[in-house]
Amino acid sequence: MEHVAELSVNVEPLDPEVSIMEVGDLFLEPRYDGFLSLPVVRDGQPIGVISRYGVQKVLMGRYGRELQGAKPVVAFMNDAPLVVPLEHSVEQASRHITRNIRFPIVEDFIVTRDGEYHGVGSVIDLLRGLEDRLMARNDSLAQSLNRLQESQTQLVQSEKMASLGQMVAGLAHEINTPLGYVRNNVELAHSAFGQLREMQEVFDSLVMLLQSPQADDAALQQAFERAMAVRGQAAAGFAPEDMEALFTDTMYGLEQISDLVINLRNFSRLDRSAVVNVDINQCVESTLLIAHNLLKHKVEVIRDLGELPPVTCAPSQINQVLLNLVSNAAQAIEEHGRIRISTVCHGGFVHVLVKDDGKGIRAENLERIFDPFFTTKPVGEGTGLGLSISYKIVRDHGGHIRVKSKPGKGTAFCVSLPVTSGA
Amino acid sequence: MQSATPASFPAGPMPATVLFVDDEQRILRSLRMLFATQFKVLMTTDPREALVMLKRETVHVLVSDQRMPIMQGVDLLRKARDLSPDTMRLLLTGYSDLEAIIDSINEGEVFRYINKPWNADELRSIVGEAAAIAVGLRTLAPAVPLRGETAQRRILLIDDAADVASGLRTMIEEGFSGAFALDWVTSLPDAMGILERNQPSMVISELSVGGDDMMPFLKLLKLHHPHIVTIVQTTFRDTGLLVELINQGQVHRFLPKPMRKAMMLRGIQSGMELAREIHLHPEVAARHRVDVPPRPADAGLVGRIRSLFRGGPASR
Repeated sequence: MEHVAELSVNVEPLDPEVSIMEVGDLFLEPRYDGFLSLPVVRDGQPIGVISRYGVQKVLMGRYGRELQGAKPVVAFMNDAPLVVPLEHSVEQASRHITRNIRFPIVEDFIVTRDGEYHGVGSVIDLLRGLEDRLMARNDSLAQSLNRLQESQTQLVQSEKMASLGQMVAGLAHEINTPLGYVRNNVELAHSAFGQLREMQEVFDSLVMLLQSPQADDAALQQAFERAMAVRGQAAAGFAPEDMEALFTDTMYGLEQISDLVINLRNFSRLDRSAVVNVDINQCVESTLLIAHNLLKHKVEVIRDLGELPPVTCAPSQINQVLLNLVSNAAQAIEEHGRIRISTVCHGGFVHVLVKDDGKGIRAENLERIFDPFFTTKPVGEGTGLGLSISYKIVRDHGGHIRVKSKPGKGTAFCVSLPVTSGA
Repeated sequence: MQSATPASFPAGPMPATVLFVDDEQRILRSLRMLFATQFKVLMTTDPREALVMLKRETVHVLVSDQRMPIMQGVDLLRKARDLSPDTMRLLLTGYSDLEAIIDSINEGEVFRYINKPWNADELRSIVGEAAAIAVGLRTLAPAVPLRGETAQRRILLIDDAADVASGLRTMIEEGFSGAFALDWVTSLPDAMGILERNQPSMVISELSVGGDDMMPFLKLLKLHHPHIVTIVQTTFRDTGLLVELINQGQVHRFLPKPMRKAMMLRGIQSGMELAREIHLHPEVAARHRVDVPPRPADAGLVGRIRSLFRGGPASR
C-alpha cells in the first residue's frame, strides 16, 4: 500500500441538517459498525465529523434526547476534522495525523479528492499500511546489502588483477631481455657447432687417408685442400674466445630468467602455506625484487633493515601491501629519487617504514587516501583501491598503518604488525 | 666505441654499416656475432654516443631498443631522422608501449618494429633489406626532375563521417590555400574508383569504413602504389595493429580523432613533401618498402582489392 487512496472507504456522508437523534440511530445500524465517526458534507465539501463519542455526550446528558435530540448535527460536530488528500503517501498522511490528532482517538479521518469529499480512513488501517511499507523497505535494503557485498568482493579481486597485471607486464619485459640474447646465442652456437662438425668430418677423412698405405698423392692433396678450406671458413666465422664469451653470457641470462621466476613464486607464495611465521625483511626483499622493473633507472633504493623477530601473517598479503606502498612511492617520484625502507622491532610490533622523496600528498587529501576509490590519478588510471585494501589487510593482521607527508618533500608510510606472541 | 670488422669479408663492395643501440651489453654482443660476418657492426649502450657516430660516419641501418635510461629509443630515432635521414631506422624492443609506438611512426618514421625475443633469420633478413635500400639510396646520383609540377596535388579521404570531411576540407583550404584538392569517399569501392581516376598523392583513411576493415587495403596500397603517402586517422589504439601499420603499411602518420589541427597540418605538410620527393626521385619510395603480409585474414575482401589494383594503373 502506498497511497491514502488505497485505504479510503466510501461511506455515505451526512447532510448537515440531519438531527443528532437520527445520527444516533444511524450509528446503531449494522452497516456503520466499523466506523468510529461519520463525515458531514455540504455541497461536496467536507465540513466536519461527528463521532459516536460526540453523539453519546449529547444524548446521555440528563433529558439529552428530549432537549437536544432535534438539533442538527452541525451544532455538535467537530468542525476541524483531520483531512488527508488521497494522493498523499502513507508516510505523509501518517506525519500529518500524528501531528494533529487529539486523544483519545475517537474519529476516523476524511479523505478528499481535489478538496472534495471522497471517503474516510481509519488510523488502524494507516498503521497497518505503514508496517507493510517498513517490511518491504527492509527486504529491499537486505538485497542491496547483498549486492554491495558482492560488488566489493569483485572490486577487490579486480584491483588484485590490475596490480598483478601491471606486475606481470613488467616481469615479461624483464624476462624478454635475457631471453633475447640467450635465444640468439644458442642459434649462433648451433650454427658454429655445425661448422665444427663439418670440420671434424673433413679432418677425419684426411687422417684416414694419411693412415692408409694405398692413398695416392693426388687424393691426399685434394683432401688436404678441402680441410684447409673448411677450416678457413670456420675461422672467418667465430673466434673461440668470442664463442666462450657468448656461452658465459648465455648462462648469465638463464640465471636471470630463473631468478625472475623464483622471485615471482616467492612473492605470490602460491605453493606455500597461507599463514606462517615470517621474517618481514624477507617480504621486503621479495617485494623489491618484483618491483625492480618499476624502480630501475628512476629510483635509488636504500635498505635499513633491522633484526626482526617472526611475525605471524599471510606473507602473500603482506607482500601485496609492501608492493602497493613501493609502487605508490615510485609513482610519486617524477624524474629521479630515493626510496628508503627501514625495519625495526619496538614495543611488541615490527615496523616497516617506506619513505620517498617524491611529490608528497596534500593535507586535504591525506585524510582520504585510505578511502576506497579515492585517487589523485587521472580518470582511467588506477582503481583507487590499493591503499584501502592495504589498510584492511594490515588491520586484519592486528596491525596499523600510518602516514605522514609534506608536499614537495616526500611521504612516509609506516606499517606496524604485532610480533608473534610467545616469540 | 666498439666496432667489429671480422677477419675476412666476402670479396665485393664495402659492407654496409649497422649501428646497434641497447642498454644491455649482452644483447649487443649477441647481435654483433649475428651480423659481424656480413656487415660493419657498430654498437653502444649510450644513445648520445650513437648520435655522435651518426654524425661522424655513414651509418646505413640503426637498430635501437626502446626502454633505455638515458634516452628512449623513439627519441633517438627522431634525432637520427633529423641528423641522418638516409639511415634506415629499426626499433627492436621487448616493451610494448602504445605511446612509444605511435611516436616511432610519427616522429621516428621507423622502417620496421621488431619484438624481442627476435628470430635470428628474420632479423638478418630485415636488416639486410634495410641495408640494401640504404646503400641503394646513397649511390643515387642527384636526379633531374621527371616532370613539372603543374598538376594540383590531390588528397583522398576515406571516412564515414561527414563532419570529419568538412573539418578536413576547411583546414586544408585555410592551411594550404588551395594547394591541395580533397576527394572524399565513404566506401572502399569508391576509394578504388578515385585512385584510378584522380591519382591522389596522399590517402587519409579511417580503419573501418562502410563496415569494411581498411587494413588489407592500406597494406596493399603501399605495396602496389608506393608513391602514395598514407595517413591513418582514428580513435582506435592497439599495439598489434600499429606494428602491422609500420611493418606492412609503412604508414606516414598515425593521428588521433577528433582531429588536432596542428598535428594534421604538419602531417599533411611532411607527407606531401615526401610524396614530392618520391615523385622527383622514384627510387626514394624504396625507403618505405613494406613487408608482404603473410596471410590475409579475409581472403575474399583482399582478393577483391588485389584484382581492383591489378586492373588499375601500373605501380612504379
